Amino acid sequence: MIGVFDYVRVSSVEEGCALIAAHNGGAVALAGGTDLLVNIRNTGRSPDLLVDFKDVAKMNQLVTDETVGVKIGTCVPLNVIADNKVINEHYRALAEAARSVGSYQVRNRATLGGNIANASPAADTAPALLVLNASVSVAGKDGTRKIPIRELFTEVKKTSLRIGEVITDITLPPVGPRPRSAFIKKQRVKGHDLAIINMAGYYDPDTRLLRMAIGSCAVTPILLPEINLSGHEPIDGLVKRLNAIAQNAISPIDDIRASAEYRRGLVLVLLHDLLSMLLGAEGGADEAT
Amino acid sequence: MKLHEITLTVNGTRETVSVPAGMTLLELLREKLYLTGPKEGCGAGECGACTVLLDGRPVTSCLVLAVETDGKEVRTIEGEATDGQLSTLQQAFIDAGAIQCGFCTPGMVMSARALLERNPHPSDAEITEAIAGNLCRCTGYESIIAAVRLAAERGEK
Repeated sequence: MIGVFDYVRVSSVEEGCALIAAHNGGAVALAGGTDLLVNIRNTGRSPDLLVDFKDVAKMNQLVTDETVGVKIGTCVPLNVIADNKVINEHYRALAEAARSVGSYQVRNRATLGGNIANASPAADTAPALLVLNASVSVAGKDGTRKIPIRELFTEVKKTSLRIGEVITDITLPPVGPRPRSAFIKKQRVKGHDLAIINMAGYYDPDTRLLRMAIGSCAVTPILLPEINLSGHEPIDGLVKRLNAIAQNAISPIDDIRASAEYRRGLVLVLLHDLLSMLLGAEGGADEAT
Repeated sequence: MKLHEITLTVNGTRETVSVPAGMTLLELLREKLYLTGPKEGCGAGECGACTVLLDGRPVTSCLVLAVETDGKEVRTIEGEATDGQLSTLQQAFIDAGAIQCGFCTPGMVMSARALLERNPHPSDAEITEAIAGNLCRCTGYESIIAAVRLAAERGEK
């Protein structure tokens, strides 16, 4: 027994939200459970009720559409995202981030909605969703609303979701015809581990817009200000410029995985690696066009 | 404590059981159905010793609630052998010397089983990725990778 609680499997968002609202904070939404069940077991504190949304059809759909973008139901397992052809071709950072979470077995259960609702500063999918400009649809007893992902994370394991609200899906807007995005992660062991740092980048060679996001270096994943790479800028100069911005934006801590000082040093290295991937080995925005 | 009646198929046999919501699939398998092949190592989805197939996909059964498996199909290491004959995959583990203490083996075999079903001819990199969630502290991974490769060569799928 990992805890004492009750369980209900619901078949609609409305049914689930009504149940959560009726329990005055004692009920929580269950998707894959790979964070929630470990938390219950580790803390010895159980909610009164787990409301399982995995049977809600629309929360399990992954819909791709060239004009609308991609809509990923909150309960879609990470392996499904990692293997999806459209996501691999057009939103590669998210496919790579999904593939880096836990082990293959865990990714068959762990969901995209759960990974961001858990709101760990080290959540691997968060930097990818930030650079891809994702938005999150949420539902509660008072209706539905949409939150840009950059407004979702507020503190360590805290989000701007109101009590009783659940994430129903995550939308990625359409990307340019030649989108480039990538995700990288530094971890202690090769197999599977939480990130010492994770980082995602998105570059559109047609508009020359560049977005970078860093995880595991502050209380929330950090999206750096968007940069327009007009004119030629050698990659070393660009890395230095971005590193200066990043060092101001982050506030890493010493923890079991690495020291704050190591993380600060690593940001520079990973920025260089990621920008090299996005812009090409020779670097510079001109090269990429 | 409220009990939930669930019906699931385990290694081809339909089972109807009453479980509390806080019982894991691993506890159901080991303590109510007496299938003690799946092991509890970490209880947190890190070690893979409890790996079973849920509707054909490998999962860590310590992180699945029994009540979540109502209507689903579960396969464990006990479903590998038929009529007392080891499966080709099990025999390959023996022939490649991929067994020592045996604690990780039931989970390792189930991860390999799922891999060969979705990809009958995996590369070494694909084998490594598939078993990255199964920790072994005895044989090392080389002999286990060799065992999965051997099973694939012998036509296991």
